[in-house]
Amino acid sequence: MTATAGTTTAGSATAGTGAPKTVGTIPRGLLVLIGVSALVAVVATFSSDLGLASYHLVLISTVLFWATQATSWNLLSGFAGYFSFGQGAFLGVGVFTMAVMAGRNDVNYLLAIPVGGLLAGVLAFVIGAVAFRLRSLRGEIFALLTLAVPFILGSIALNTRSIDGGLGTTIPTPDRPDWVPSFQHLMVLLNLGAATIAVAVALAVYHSRLGRGLAAVHDAEDAAEVVGVPTFRYKMTAIVLGGVLGGMSGAIFAMMLGYVEVPVVFVLYIPLFIILICVAGGRRHWAGPLIGAALLVVLTEWFKVAKLDQYRDIVLGLLLVGIVVIAPDGMFGRLRRHPWIALVTFLVVAGGLLASGYYAELDALLYGMAASVVVTTLAGLPRVERLWRRQATSDSPAAPAAAPGPGTGAGSATRSSTGFAAPPPPPPGGRVLVSVEGVTKDFGGVRALDNVSFDVTEGEIVGLVGPNGSGKTTMVNLLCGAMQPTAGAITIDGRAIKGLAPHRVAHAGVARTYQIPKPFTSMTVRDNVAMAVMFGRTGASYAEARQRAEQCLATVHMQHLADALPESLNLHQRQLLEMARAIAAEPAVLILDEAFAGLNPAEIDDAVAVIRRIHASGVSIIIVEHRLRVLQQLATRIVVLNRGTLIADGAPSTVLNDAVVVQAYLGRQRA
Amino acid sequence: MNTVQVVLSGAMLGGLYALMAAGVSVTWGVLRVINLAHFGLILLGAYLTYQLVTIWRVNPLVTLVVTVPALFVLGALLQWAYDRLNIVEFNSLLVSFGLLIVMIQVAQNIWTADHRELPRDINPFDTGSLSLGPIVLPYDRLVCLGLAVLLLGGGHLALQRTFVGRGMRAFAEDRTVAASFGIDHRRLSVLLGGAAGASAGIAGMAFMLGNLIQPSHAYEWFGIVFAVVILGGLGNLLGTLFAGISVGALSGLVGVLWSHAYVPIAVFAAIIVALVLRPQGVFVRRRAV
Repeated sequence: MTATAGTTTAGSATAGTGAPKTVGTIPRGLLVLIGVSALVAVVATFSSDLGLASYHLVLISTVLFWATQATSWNLLSGFAGYFSFGQGAFLGVGVFTMAVMAGRNDVNYLLAIPVGGLLAGVLAFVIGAVAFRLRSLRGEIFALLTLAVPFILGSIALNTRSIDGGLGTTIPTPDRPDWVPSFQHLMVLLNLGAATIAVAVALAVYHSRLGRGLAAVHDAEDAAEVVGVPTFRYKMTAIVLGGVLGGMSGAIFAMMLGYVEVPVVFVLYIPLFIILICVAGGRRHWAGPLIGAALLVVLTEWFKVAKLDQYRDIVLGLLLVGIVVIAPDGMFGRLRRHPWIALVTFLVVAGGLLASGYYAELDALLYGMAASVVVTTLAGLPRVERLWRRQATSDSPAAPAAAPGPGTGAGSATRSSTGFAAPPPPPPGGRVLVSVEGVTKDFGGVRALDNVSFDVTEGEIVGLVGPNGSGKTTMVNLLCGAMQPTAGAITIDGRAIKGLAPHRVAHAGVARTYQIPKPFTSMTVRDNVAMAVMFGRTGASYAEARQRAEQCLATVHMQHLADALPESLNLHQRQLLEMARAIAAEPAVLILDEAFAGLNPAEIDDAVAVIRRIHASGVSIIIVEHRLRVLQQLATRIVVLNRGTLIADGAPSTVLNDAVVVQAYLGRQRA
Repeated sequence: MNTVQVVLSGAMLGGLYALMAAGVSVTWGVLRVINLAHFGLILLGAYLTYQLVTIWRVNPLVTLVVTVPALFVLGALLQWAYDRLNIVEFNSLLVSFGLLIVMIQVAQNIWTADHRELPRDINPFDTGSLSLGPIVLPYDRLVCLGLAVLLLGGGHLALQRTFVGRGMRAFAEDRTVAASFGIDHRRLSVLLGGAAGASAGIAGMAFMLGNLIQPSHAYEWFGIVFAVVILGGLGNLLGTLFAGISVGALSGLVGVLWSHAYVPIAVFAAIIVALVLRPQGVFVRRRAV
């Protein structure tokens, strides 16, 4: 938190920090993954020696296939929260690539698999490029748009002779190397390869900047942009990665099917099943889809064997409803809290049932999983967990730090440290940081801002005031790049921001807070701030960012809440968190949008002290505020807007006594 | 002349789309519930119509006496459950998707996956048509359009003029404020959910007049109905009516000029263009910001 001079020199080093710095979790995770994959490969290859029937191989292939599809879906829809109903489109592109290449033109299947991935990646790119460019796109609209894509592809395939034309395509039994004993073995190995790649990608994404950026998009997308996350690029990366993986796995699926036709591929059952897998397993961690796939594939296979197919969809549908209502976060979080309980229960029940000899393997598997889920859920109940904690020092690795309860105003103890009666320091006439020149903004036929010009010089605290509807919020949105002016120019630190995406404006040196705080709800207070450091002007690795976050939290006196989740904070603390996050980006200018709304007088005094400290550390500030009393204490200059035009700009004492201002604010009769 | 004919009959078919979209649009716009199960209710309405007409051998319009109250109750129950469990927006999409799957499977278990249609000798709208010079207007589509104009126009007036309607609009703008002015949101939303259900009953009957029914149809309605909902503007019934007619006409035009296979693409492109140009809906009057 040095002066702005320091940040500009550091800014030139940004290029070097672009590559994700990983903390060693990826190599470890990858090692485990490769180990597990190798084990499965060995088991599959020597399955006949181990007494496994061909049926078991089919089951393994099926689980692996759905795990791949679910992982592919999860990259965008789970991590970033943009639910897609269109996974069937990527899968379908893969399926028909294989059908056309291997089925109709005798191309080797090993070539068709990557081509399928490539084509699906291209489709994903097109979908993303169209959908994510829509500024008004909300998650629900994205979901509905993606719903249409498989249907459109289906109708194209059905009506194109060279793809399908309603005739269907038989895929020839593939040649296999000598060491692969049968077709089913080949399928296991291919699906295993695809699943390993998919999980490796998901694991790497999860632990990288990309993954954290996507998580921030999930929690609060506009706040993510403002702290500097390149949201468009990240969403594109996620959807294209997902598309490639989904297409590759789809091509393998075509080989599993053997005979391909449109009604089998472009059906809603596929996206439903994938969504269900991820919702059941857990969407925000790379391992969630794996658990979900295992649970649900075994369940559906059980229905098939039990000849209860006509009830399968009813059960799956009710399951989706039940999970969303009861456990919207999925099973993974619960299993992770007590991994050993989960594993032991599963092994005991499944093994016991098998050993008894009365149960088929599938029954044993299903009952084992069900028992494991039930027991872990019970063990996770707060009441049971307390018993558990008392008895043993917890051996579960993921026991989260208890979030401190809400209450106690954060820094009320520090109020006396900065006497707030003192008048603000006079502006040191220096560099112009923000320059607004003749800015006009129209919404349809309404002119929200009309030819507004003002400057902010280094070291100032400028109050931006005006009655409701005067254009203050529009001005803030223009300054941080969330909107583009209809006419006029805005320059930040000598750089014109016209046409820049919000995260680039953030990198130019603008940070803002929101009147209604928008924390990243899934992250702790410390991680919230660390996000802004990671994606800020200088950029940093996650570990480094967490350290620098501590300093920012100290500036707003929130260190003691660093491990709390935002939902446990009160409004004042959330506002302070907004400020900490804003200064973590090392901005040249900080815009505070009604940072005092809803606070009581003591909290306001506290906030004023915090703003003073931020200002003292070398950040220029623009405060949007109603309360003139507060501005009189804080601002070095006041700019007044009324009905979109600038009506006054000057020292607080002069501006607040200006007849025009008083009339705009208080109405005619008092003037 | 052929083109005019196709566009006209497409526009009349658009009445059916508007009927189907009305319920989705209102629950989404006012209650913030994206109710995919609405398609299940339409399906149920269609099958009930089929069942009653086959048993009683009456004019399909008469069956509304049973289907409308039945689906009103079902829609109200559904909304009550959403409300109780506090399911809105995103979760509602998932939950109602699950419910839709259940409803489709139930329909399939009862009525099988085969096509069903109203017995031809009883359905008075099946083959007849009104001839206006060279242009032919089939009765079943005329009925669709007529019902749509009546229902959506009436609904629009009800939302604009009645006390209950004003309460709902207030509720759509800001729940907390509306609640603090004494608007009982539970009762309102159950009422509205019931009304949406009733409209699904009417839409199902209208569908049966000129079409075969099959459980998987519920999926096939998705694309075009959501296009109508988005183009019409959420919660805007008059907009939905115009959007339905326009989408119908556009589908007819694309079908005759190009190929029926490309209708979904054209509709999809229309949604994208609309979202770029008028994110709040194409058929929404401009409002001051």
